Order: sequence, then C-alpha cells, then structure tokens
Amino acid sequence: MTEATTPAGLPAAAAPTGSIYDIGYRRYEGPRLGRGHAVRSLFIHSLRSAFGIGRGGRAKIAPIILGGMALLPAIAIVGAMTMVAQFGVGERFANQAPIRYETYFGTISTLIVLFCAAQAPELFGRDQRNGVIALYFARALRRSDYALARVAGFAAALLIIQLLPQLLLFLGRVLLSPDIPGAVGEDLPSFPPVLAQSGLAAGLLGGLSMAISAFTPRRAYATAGIIALFTIPNIVAGTVLGLGSSVIGTWLLLLSPTAVLDGTNSILFGAPFGSDFFFIDLPDIAWIAAAIAGIVGAIAITVRRFARIAT
Amino acid sequence: MALISIRNLTKRYGDAITALDGLTVDIEPGIVGLVGSNGAGKSTLLKILLGLVEPTSGEATVFDLDVRSRGTDIRQFVGYMPEHDCLPPDASATDVVSHLALISGLPRTAARERTAEVLRHVGLYEERYRAIGGYSTGMKQRVKLAQALVHDPRLLLLDEPTNGLDPTGRDEMLELVRRTGTEFGMAVIVASHLLGEIERVCTHLVAIEGGRLLRSAPLGDFIEQTGTLAVEVDEGSAALADRLKAAGLSVVVDGRAVLVAISDERPYDLVRDAVAELGLPLVRIEQRRHRLEDLFRDLPPVPPATVGAPPVLETPAAPTVPTPPTPPTPPGGQP
Repeated sequence: MTEATTPAGLPAAAAPTGSIYDIGYRRYEGPRLGRGHAVRSLFIHSLRSAFGIGRGGRAKIAPIILGGMALLPAIAIVGAMTMVAQFGVGERFANQAPIRYETYFGTISTLIVLFCAAQAPELFGRDQRNGVIALYFARALRRSDYALARVAGFAAALLIIQLLPQLLLFLGRVLLSPDIPGAVGEDLPSFPPVLAQSGLAAGLLGGLSMAISAFTPRRAYATAGIIALFTIPNIVAGTVLGLGSSVIGTWLLLLSPTAVLDGTNSILFGAPFGSDFFFIDLPDIAWIAAAIAGIVGAIAITVRRFARIAT
Repeated sequence: MALISIRNLTKRYGDAITALDGLTVDIEPGIVGLVGSNGAGKSTLLKILLGLVEPTSGEATVFDLDVRSRGTDIRQFVGYMPEHDCLPPDASATDVVSHLALISGLPRTAARERTAEVLRHVGLYEERYRAIGGYSTGMKQRVKLAQALVHDPRLLLLDEPTNGLDPTGRDEMLELVRRTGTEFGMAVIVASHLLGEIERVCTHLVAIEGGRLLRSAPLGDFIEQTGTLAVEVDEGSAALADRLKAAGLSVVVDGRAVLVAISDERPYDLVRDAVAELGLPLVRIEQRRHRLEDLFRDLPPVPPATVGAPPVLETPAAPTVPTPPTPPTPPGGQP
C-alpha cells in the first residue's frame, strides 16, 4: 500500500557493488515512533521553553527571576528555622511560622501570574509569529495534539514552580526536626491538598493564559490580556462588594481566577477564606466547579483555535 | 497505482475565492514541476495533499490514502517546505531541525544523527550552530529544505523553493532539488511560477491556472510546444518577419527581436537563410521558453492540432447506420 514510491528503483538496483554513498544523505531505515512520541517531544520542548531552556540567555532572565522569587519564601523560612533550631525552640517556631503549606499558594500567587504573563506568550506566540506552526502541522500529529502538548507543558512548568519550594519547605521541616519519622508523619496529610491545589492552579492559570496567547502572535497583546484577565475581575468584584452589594460581588468573585484559587485553597486546607475585607459565604462546590469549568473551557477554546488557524 | 491521485478537486474560500476548480490529475513518482502563476492554486493543492486544508469537494489520495481521513499517516512520509518564513530567528539550525525530527517520530539519537546528515547534505556546516536570525535568505531556504528531509520522506513537497534567492542561490537550490530527486530516488513536487527554473530539474510538468488543470505531461512535450526562437537584428526586423511569414511560420515582432514559433526543426534553416539573403545585421538567435505566459498563450491553439489527433481513432462508425435493408414488405392489400 505505501510501497508506491519509486518503481524507478534506480539507485538500489543499478548500483554496482562497492559504490559508496558519500554525499551526506542516506535513507533512514530506523523506527518512526509516530504521534505519541511527537506529543511527548512537544510536551518536553514546551516545558523547557517555559523556563527558557534551549534558547538564548535573554529568554532565561524572566523565568529565573520569577522562579527564584517563588523559592525565596521557602528558603527564608528554612533558613530561619535552622537558626532558631540552634536555640532549641525550632519546633515551636516551625508550627507558627507565617509560611506554611496552606499559605504558600497565596504567598507566591502573584509571581505565578507574572510567570504566566511573561512565558505563556512565548510558547504559542513564537510559533505563530515565526510561522513554525506550519512545520508542526505538516508532521504526523494532529492540530489538537499540538495545542494540548503545549498547554500541558506549560502547566507542568507552573506545577514545578509551585511544588519545588514546598518540597524544600518539607525537607527543611523534616530534617530540622529532632524526630524525623514523626515530622514526616505530621506533614504527610498535607500532601494531597498541596498537590490538588498546585494542580488546580497550574491548570487554571496556565490554561487561561495559554488560551489568550493562542489568539495573537503579538507578545505584548497576550501579556496585557493575561494580566487583564487575572486582575480586572478581581477589581470589578471588589468594587461591587465595596458598593455594598455583597451577594452579587461575592458571586462575581467566581469570575476571578485568582479568587477562585484562593477559594479552593481554603477548602482544600480547611482554612478560613483569606479575604481581607469581607466575609465570603459561597458553597464549597462553587469554587471547585468554577476552577474546573475554567480549566476545561480554556483547553476547549485553545484546541478550537488551533483547529481553525490558517497555516 | 499513482503516487497521488486527484479527482475533481475543488476548494473554495467563502463564496468569493475559488482556489481549485474541479482539478483532476494523477502524479507519478519523479521530479514533478507544479507550475502556475501566483494564485493559480499551487499552494492550496500542496496543503490539501498534506491534509492541512479540507477540500470543498472532490477526492485526493496520496500513497493511496485519503487526504481527508488519513492526514497523519500521509504526513509521516511527506516532507513539506512552505513558501513563507517558518524558522525561529533565536534558535540554531541544529536545534530547529533536530526538534522537528523528534516531532516527525524519530528517536532522539536518530534525530541528532539525521540532523547532522541533512544539514551537511544541504550545505550547512559550521554555521548550523549559530542562530538562524543571522542567516542569509539562501541559508534559511536550505534549513527549510533540511527540515523537510530530516525524516527521510517518500514524497517531498516544495513550495517555491527558490523564493527570494539570487541567481547563484537559485542554481544551488535547484541542483540540490535535482540531486535529492534523482540520486536518492525520492518523489518530489516543486511548485513554482518560474517555468524557466522548474524545467531545469523536472521530469514532468503539471500546469494549473485558475485552479484548473492546464496540462500534465512529460517535460519534453512542454518544451516543444512552448519553444520560441528570438532572432534579434539591428535593423530590418519587419522585413525579416514578412519573409518568414511568407514561408509559413507564425511570427511576432517584438521591438528589434522577431519571435518565431518553433514546433520542429524547419524554422532554424529558414531563419538562417532569410537573414543571410536579406543581409541583416544579426545580433543573436536564442531559444526562449522561459516565460510562463508563453506557455499559457500558446497552449490553447495547440491541443486540437497535436494532442487531439491521436485519441480519435478512425473506427468505422458504420455498423448502426446501414440497417434499413429489411425487405420492404409492401403493405399490400388483399389480393
């Protein structure tokens, strides 16, 4: 069926014995791993590109600064714990420190938003700006494969940015504790909420910023759009709340990705909602549903965009 | 079975633009030139063959696989070099080509080896580690060709590969295409609006215009029919033209040049004799067949004369006509 290439067959048949292909081009007879391999490769490429790896030095500046700053709270608190431990009050300090698993997302959420605004446009915008997308689509993968691999790669980068500091925090807490197995047992219950919250944040913030980036080759537009999406609903909801309409204002918060993630954080860790100025009383399911709807919607929009984009 | 089979293929963009209009053609392996002026539908055809653009109606198969449903299977064995810029300026040729080799399904080590090989094949050496942003147009075109070859496709689709190149660059690119097609036995389709270039490397030409097939034939047929002899004289071009017309040639005066249509060997002697007898100051005689317009202008009158002749076999169309001789039974009355 696919042997219809060259019935001419001249090179193979007519070549006398001992002739040498010395021209730098040989046929490739090895395996072709197909779509799955293509998607995995693109996923890894996206993950690396999100941190500027494999690109010029300038591409690494923003991810290194933002990633480093996300690590900073963990480094600082572990450092403090080390010092305090020398005075024998380490355990008491560790349990009262302001940086804990349930507060970590809130502490670095602004950095994550900035990371999205800086790096998501790099992934989708570059491909469109340079026309590389035509070369991807001319290969053995589907347009949806391309979109999903890129989004997943970026979400994975966000996951790393969140989990790495918390891993550091965990190691610091455990290793500085006089009773290591006990400390592990104490922190173990925090793992599921940490993973769930980080996953939701990576999916929602990553998905939404990639959805916006998918629509423009212009980096500046995408960055502005992402910042707008992550701030304006907050401001609107805050204004409505400030004007005294707390019911409408509270429901409006569900349109703000960062507020939704604050909500899921408080639900997952069983902590009170960290709003500064108003009591928020929405059903738990509303926050979770808003987060999942946002993730699914963002991915659907992105896939649809690349199904229609002209090459 | 044809490598590519296209049946009644139509592509419309909205109501206004018809890129392909009932195109039917079979393409066999070899180096095939796809010629047509800008907007003739060449790029659209290539994208449909890749499964990147959905045809409005009609059928097309590549390797006997339907382009609508088997796009990924087809693309696994097709290399595509787009017309436009498609390379990131901040990455090196090695990075781009090896990444695209991975996406083409090659394992990591194979991707690295193949990248080095194809970049050497297209003539990129030390510069392949530098960022593409600093490359000349010629080098970029080579990288574009390399990425199309890296997974060793069975079919190579090149969309205007000499775009933006200077004459030397064009020659080198065409030589590269010719070597790739002949020495490695890869089927190649080269889309171009420059017939003069494409005829240097192709074995077969497919000419389309306005989304329709103009002609599909081996290269030799085209050259014969589009051949024009330009006879340039310092003076007396009108006299020469009259003389040649009198000899039964089809002649056009174009400034100082007299363009003579050549369909066989006869005009060469006639031109020589006419120039000599008129004692004209001859500047040069050259064959011109480089302009696509000539192809399109000359073609319509030709087919009835040559192409139309063979298929009409003079089979005696008699059998049905002379049937009447049934004996006329006179509707006679009763005796």
